[in-house]
Amino acid sequence: VREIKVITNLLKANEEVSINNKQIFDEKGVYVVNLMSSPGSGKTSILEKVINYLKDEMKIAVIEGDIYTIKDAERINNLGIPVVQINTEGACHLDADMIKRASEELDLDNINILFIENVGNLVCPAEFEIGEDIKISVLSTTEGSDKPSKYPLMFERSKAVILNKIDLINYTNFNKEEFYKDVRALNEKIYMFETSCTKSEGIEELCSFIKDEMKKKTLI
Amino acid sequence: MKELIKVYMHEVSIIQELLDIVQNTAIENNLTKIDKIHLKIGELSGVLEDSLRFAYDCISNDTLANGSELFIETVEATGRCNRCNITFKIEHFNKLCPQCSKFCDSILSGYELSIYSIKGE
Repeated sequence: VREIKVITNLLKANEEVSINNKQIFDEKGVYVVNLMSSPGSGKTSILEKVINYLKDEMKIAVIEGDIYTIKDAERINNLGIPVVQINTEGACHLDADMIKRASEELDLDNINILFIENVGNLVCPAEFEIGEDIKISVLSTTEGSDKPSKYPLMFERSKAVILNKIDLINYTNFNKEEFYKDVRALNEKIYMFETSCTKSEGIEELCSFIKDEMKKKTLI
Repeated sequence: MKELIKVYMHEVSIIQELLDIVQNTAIENNLTKIDKIHLKIGELSGVLEDSLRFAYDCISNDTLANGSELFIETVEATGRCNRCNITFKIEHFNKLCPQCSKFCDSILSGYELSIYSIKGE
């Protein structure tokens, strides 16, 4: 019997494709945001607002991840933005290879920022790098303030967290203090935003953050 | 608007990757039978041992790893404080230096999801 040392990351295949994606995005000057949250927290609504705010300043494209439908992609398509739909047919997250194939459908030379809306799920998307510059997670007030402590990895890996449906907070038992405390304990440097898509609140702050991050990247 | 489709399952995909690595390593090293696979899984990786074992039992049958032992070593999560020059245990919700209470400067371990070695003949 022989023992052979292998010492290989089990997500190596995904990691390699992810690094390759990142290289292509960097060469083409495309800034990539991986947007993650549970279903129904408002990812698509936030995207619609952000797109409307930014579309006169920069060229935007979107990759929509969804298990079965093209409903979200249709909403983005209505804004006149290039969009590619990935249907995972049961899978719980997007992986680097899906993004590689989806991005081949886009004219990367004519895109400044690519938003990737991940499959609605607070668990698996956090484990898979897809070639993004930053991860942003969304939580809505109606989901409850205990979610960061129940699903820590996503908040740990995010550069920013958006607390959405802030206009509804008084109808819920959402504890903002607990939420911010938990998120900070997971990730001390995380940026935090509060938004309401129905009242169009907080979108400007969020967009300034995204623009600042894009600038930081081009300065490097 | 374009549509792409792909079928993909999470735990199974991790074990599939494992079996690919095991199979290739076995062939490169002229092993015809695998006795034991040693994994290192970080305690904060979010991967469940039971789910991994279940996926392993389901899809290892048709490979050289059929009947082998899946040994899972849990790796403790540790962080480092550069100011105090110490290494300490961290948790999801506590990454503060036990001496100066500053957030750790770097995370050293705890998020591993890797294959360490395989034993066979």
